[in-house]
Parts: sequence; C-alpha cells; structure tokens
Amino acid sequence: MAKPPPLSGIRVCDFTWVWAGPYCTLQLAHLGAEVIRIETKTRPCVTRMLPPWPDGKFDSIDKSGYFNQYNQGKKSLSLNFKHPEARDAAWRLIKQSDIVINNFASGVIEKMGFGYEAVKKANPKVIMISLSGYGDTGPYSKYVAYGPAQVPLSGLSALTGYKGFPPMHAGFSYADPNAGVHGAFALICALFHRAKTGEGQYIDMSQWECAMDLLAEGILEYTMNDREPERVGNRDPHMAPHGIFKCLDLSEKILDVTIDQWVSIVCADDAEWERLARAIGKPGLPTDARFKNLAARKQNEDALEAIITEWTSQRRVADVVTELQNAGVAAGACADSKYISEDPHLTERDYFVYREHPAVGKRQHCGMPWRMSETVCEVKAAAPVLGQHTDEVLTGLLGYSKAEVEKMRADGALD
Amino acid sequence: MAGALSSLKIVEVGEMVSAPYCSKLLADMGADVIKIERPGAGDRSRTRGPFPGDKSNPETSGLFLYLNTNKRGVTLDITQPDGFEIFEKLVASADILIHNVTPPDMDRIGLSYDRMHRVNPKLIMTSILPFGLTGPYRNYRAEDLTIWCAGGVCVLNGGGPEHPELPPLKTAGQQAGYQGGVHGATATIAAAFAQLRDGLGQHVEVSVQESITSMLEMTFEYWPYMKMIATRLGQKPLQPVETMECKDGYIYLCCIEEHQWRAFVEIMGNPEWADEEIFKDRLVRAVNWDVLKVLLQEWVGQQTVLDLYRKAQAKRVPFAPVSTMGDLLNSEHLKARGFFVEIAQPVAGTHKYPGAPLKFERTPWQIRRPAPTLGQHNVEVFGQQLGISESRLSELKRKGVI
Repeated sequence: MAKPPPLSGIRVCDFTWVWAGPYCTLQLAHLGAEVIRIETKTRPCVTRMLPPWPDGKFDSIDKSGYFNQYNQGKKSLSLNFKHPEARDAAWRLIKQSDIVINNFASGVIEKMGFGYEAVKKANPKVIMISLSGYGDTGPYSKYVAYGPAQVPLSGLSALTGYKGFPPMHAGFSYADPNAGVHGAFALICALFHRAKTGEGQYIDMSQWECAMDLLAEGILEYTMNDREPERVGNRDPHMAPHGIFKCLDLSEKILDVTIDQWVSIVCADDAEWERLARAIGKPGLPTDARFKNLAARKQNEDALEAIITEWTSQRRVADVVTELQNAGVAAGACADSKYISEDPHLTERDYFVYREHPAVGKRQHCGMPWRMSETVCEVKAAAPVLGQHTDEVLTGLLGYSKAEVEKMRADGALD
Repeated sequence: MAGALSSLKIVEVGEMVSAPYCSKLLADMGADVIKIERPGAGDRSRTRGPFPGDKSNPETSGLFLYLNTNKRGVTLDITQPDGFEIFEKLVASADILIHNVTPPDMDRIGLSYDRMHRVNPKLIMTSILPFGLTGPYRNYRAEDLTIWCAGGVCVLNGGGPEHPELPPLKTAGQQAGYQGGVHGATATIAAAFAQLRDGLGQHVEVSVQESITSMLEMTFEYWPYMKMIATRLGQKPLQPVETMECKDGYIYLCCIEEHQWRAFVEIMGNPEWADEEIFKDRLVRAVNWDVLKVLLQEWVGQQTVLDLYRKAQAKRVPFAPVSTMGDLLNSEHLKARGFFVEIAQPVAGTHKYPGAPLKFERTPWQIRRPAPTLGQHNVEVFGQQLGISESRLSELKRKGVI
C-alpha cells in the first residue's frame, strides 16, 4: 500500500512571486504539501504576464505557460492588503500554516506587517524562510535582485565564456531555481527538526550565497593559488574531446527560422577516445599519434575538434547520440524544447504532466525529477487561475461564512 | 547547538559531484556521513583540483575537499564479495544510503534496492543517476556536460545573434552534478521526514536530466504552448539586460521594468537620445538594441563598476557587477555576513571555501571536520564500529578490499 506523499498534511502560506520563491514552493507541492499562494489582481505575479501564451496572444493573466509550469498543484487565494479584512484573512492562514515563505528583498515582508517576529507571536511553532537576493544582514541587504543579474553577481559569468571572449551568462536565471530548491531542502530540514523537538525557526537565505556554493572550483583556484581562472568555453582540463559539435540543422523550419542542432561529446579517457575514433571510421584515426593520450589531445584539440565536427555535421543529432552511445561514448543531444518534448526516454519515464487547466486545457508540462517507491508523489492539479481557491480557502479552512466572503468581495478585499 | 539532522546516519558511495554534494548538504546540517571510496584511487574528484601550488595530489584537490566536508572516509571495494559484505554491514545500521553508481555498474555488482531492503527494511536508498534507473537511456554514458546539454539549458546560452557560428556554451563548473545533488537532497530529506511518520524505508530515484529539465524557466513551454523553439540565437524580448564593459571591469545592466530604465536614464544625466521614439519602451529597445548598445557602451565605458552599481541600487535598479573571484573574496557584504569559511586540512593546509547556503536560527550549518584523507577512518569504522578484527583487516588489505 502506497503511503501519502512525504509532506502530506503540511500547509504552506506562500507570499512568493516571480521564480525563485515559486520554484521553492513547487518542490513542496510536488512532495505533497498544501501550498496556498496569496495573490492579488491589483498586482499579479510577473510570470502571469510573461509568455508563452496559447497562439502567442496575451489576453489573460491565466494563460502563461511560465506561470503554469511553476505553480502546478498549488492553490490561489486572492487578497488585497489595502483592506484590513484581507490582512485578517492572511493572519488566519498564518496561524494554521506550518511554513511561511517569501522571496521579497530583505525588509519588505516586515513592512507589509508579516515579519518573523509578528508571525512567530501568532504561531510559535512556525517555520519561516526569506529567500532574498542578498540576505537579511550586511551592507547590501536592502539591494534589489532580479534573476538575470544574480548569475553575473554570483561569479558564474566571470568563469563562463569562450576563450578570449568577455564573460557570458548561463542563458537563464539560474540562481532563481537554485535558490528555490536549496530553500525547499532547508525547509524540510527544519520540519525534521521540529518533528523531533517541537521547535520552529527562521531561515535567512541569500540567493547570491546559494549560487556561490556551485562554483567552488573557481573560488578555490583563487583562494589556493591567488589567480582568476580563465574562461575555456566547453573544454575541460582533464578530458578531451570535451565539447559541443554541430549536427545537421532541423529538417523543417520553425516559423521560418532554421534551427541548428548540436551534440555534446566527451571522452573521459584514452579507451573512450579510441571507441570514438573507431565510430568516426576515419582511417588511421584510432592510432593517430596527435591524439594518443590526454596530453596529446589537449595539445591538438583544435584539430581534434575539427575532425569530430566534420563527422557530426553530416548527421542528425539523434543518430549521432545513438551511434556513439552504442559504441560506448558519452554523447548527448544539446536538447531544445522540441527535442525534450518529443524525447522517448522522458516520455517512457512518465516525466511529463498533463492536467486539465480551466484557461488553457491540457498542456504538456515538466514534472518532478524523483520517484519514491512508498510515498508516491504526484502533481495534484494544474496551476490555478488567479483566485481560483479564494472561496474554498476562506469558507473551508479559514472559517468565514458565505455572507462574510460576499461582503469582503463587495468591499474589494478579494481583488 | 546541534545541526537539524544530527540524528541521521548516512552511507555514501559517490563519485564526482551529484551524490557527494547531496550528502554534503545533509552532513553540513549535522548528519553523520560515512563516505566509501575505491581503494587506491578514491573518488575521481581527487584528480580534478584546483591544487595548491598546482601540484597534483589526491589529498589536496579543491573540488574533493569542498564536496566532502563533515564526512568520515573509508576505502572499500564493493565490487568484491568480501567488500560487498562489509558494505551491507554498514548499510544495516544506517538510515540512508546515497549513491551515484551508474545502472550498468549497479547490475554488475548487484547493488539494488531489493537487496538493500532485505539488509535493512527501514533504509532510505537514494539513487542519483544521469538518466534515471528506467527508460531507454538508463545505460547511457554521461559526463556533466552530457547532462547539462540533455537537460535543455545549454542550448539557451552562447554567442547570440552576433556569433551564430559559436556553439551553445556550457556554464562553468559541474552544474548538472550540483543540481542532481540538491534535488536529490530535497527528495531524500523528505523521505526521511516521512519515515518519522510511517517508519518505512523506501527507494528514492533521482534523474539528473530531469532535475535540469525542471529548471527551464519559460523556455520549455514555448513548444507546447506556441510551437516555438527558444535558443541562444534570436533577439531578446526586452532590453537592456546585458553585460557591458566599464573602465575597470564588467557590469550587468538590468532594466526589466520601465521605471528602472527611467532611473538609469537619470543616472546617465538624461542624454537627449534617450527621448528618441526608438527607445521608448522595453520592447522597442530590444528591437533597436544594435543602436542602443553603442550609445550605452560609450557612457558605461567611462564608469567604474562599483560606482555605477551603487548609483543604480540607490534608485532600486537591479544592476550587478560581473563579480570576479577576487571581488567575491573581498566583498564587504560577504565579509559582514561571514560567508566564506576557513577550513584547515592536514595536507592541503588552510584555505577559504564557500560557506553556508542558508542561515538557520536554531540549527546551524557547521563545519565540524574537513574532508577525509583516503581511508582516514578505516580503523575507526571497520574496527571500532563494525568490530572487524585486526587480523581480518590486514587480510582484507592484502586482498585490496580496503
């Protein structure tokens, strides 16, 4: 008999928005927690107003694929804090929650009146976390942080880039989900501690610091050898080849645009290189002295990469991956959204989630990266439309009468 | 004060980043972790560096020393029957087993959840695997780059429309491993929390590829919603959100909201060109980025990074420096928060390492011990904890089992 998911019965009062915070509460929802997002029509979540939208048309704040991906399985409670009744409702929710979470800049949640001291007074066993950009202390604690800027701030950009080129980005707001998942880990550690001792606590997270935990190699190069690491593109000092190689373009154009396709190929040792060389089938390549060991391959890496490119560029990416993997070489598609969407492996693993959504119907969404054999985790529902659960939460959990809810609505407290 | 997880006993069979980072997160929160390494060579991250003074030494590799803090280390060859037997003894008294032994190697040595469950019915076994334990790619070979690409993020980064010939670009470091590790740690501690409730062991299977595809921002949904493909090419939807060179380094310009752009224009002293129709909102600024870039570069190039950063932040504009490692180590903010921690290790010496990802009010993140030298705790664990006799230990040593 399967047991309930691990966080079944845990309630989360969710003040988060944009991506870092919602990514955190998505993990909690995936693990079975009841996540109640407090939203307001007067200032909807930024991601509700960002693409993609069905047919590319922005005609509703309930149709964003971005919002719908990171808010699966959560409830939406619409409250406008300009109204004292709305604030009272939030307090009722806080009193019945195990976790209270926000990802505003440090100090903002206190200004809203929901700081930890006040929250703890109302709910002494509460666990509260703030996922701010810079953390709650230090001279920059009030600085504002947006996802894309956290990647260069963290130091990742300085380490990332083609040789001889300026620093590059990660291509997405990497520090956001990184902070979100570390935050979820921390919250469950705190739940574990509370289950043993009865104690709640506060957790101060800096998205910046959390991202620096991903670049120990760069930081230690500096602290051990007093040197800034150089940018080396896709190469690696201990493996060659180690790169991303051109394949045939996608056979069809997408919206009149040619889509280029690439494959990653890595040989961790001489034996793996020999297998690659045989798969390429160029006479003499497996015994070519220029590539006979790592030192030789590093020295002749330009020539090495040119030979691989000559072979891959005549082939479809999926064929290269299959052929090289069958030969025992670490090759993988540089997958884009179409490739992932159609990936037979992810499909066979039931990774994708299709849940009925009131505004966009059934869409393909990414699921969760773990499977548990006993406490089975499932995405409970599609992301909510704004305010979808307002009545349910107010009259059910929070104990308001229908008449009270109607009055709140008439007053604008539920906007 | 004790860490939140000081009651947990964990056994790790981990190489490189994913499983070691997973158990580091738990160890730094107080869990007792015994790390099993191959006799002789040890964890591959011991060969990666950086090494103090550039002298390669398995005891001084920065990546290994960072990823294995707070763990005790033993050497044990679990591919030999004698070694597997001792491994089972360790697992029998543990709460959690964390490993990233690949599926083909699991098959070869007979490591499976069924077998571990028979040894210890309350055990949580976490398998962090490149493509998971099922599906057509389960046996695929994978290095970090393979998964970072297969997960769909790498295609988003690179030369952009100006350099379509340059390949998609990997983010520095072993990022797939870190994400497999932290997603794995989240699932593992959740399973341990459920065990307090149910008293049951279970298998937690984590796919590193799926950990990456979970983080694709809005880009994945472009295909199911709009039949569009997002890549490193093509124009950004809004501007300016770009790296630009100052007098003394690089800064990241970030004007996502219109009020942020207006504040930036003020900081620049309200140049006349800023009133042009072609820069009137964030969307047209993206369309006309070629022109805008030149005008901005002319002004930004005369500024210093810190000065522009502070001026922007004073007006709530989220610019950020493109931090070098030196910038991070010297940051007054990070110093005030005590982020970097000094760790002394007998062979490598004392160095500063990245510290706590989060600050807990009651259950501190702590470094209790540095990463182990190879086989450092063999006697303590095999002799004192498991009660294996000295003569048997030297026999196992002769056979190369430990």
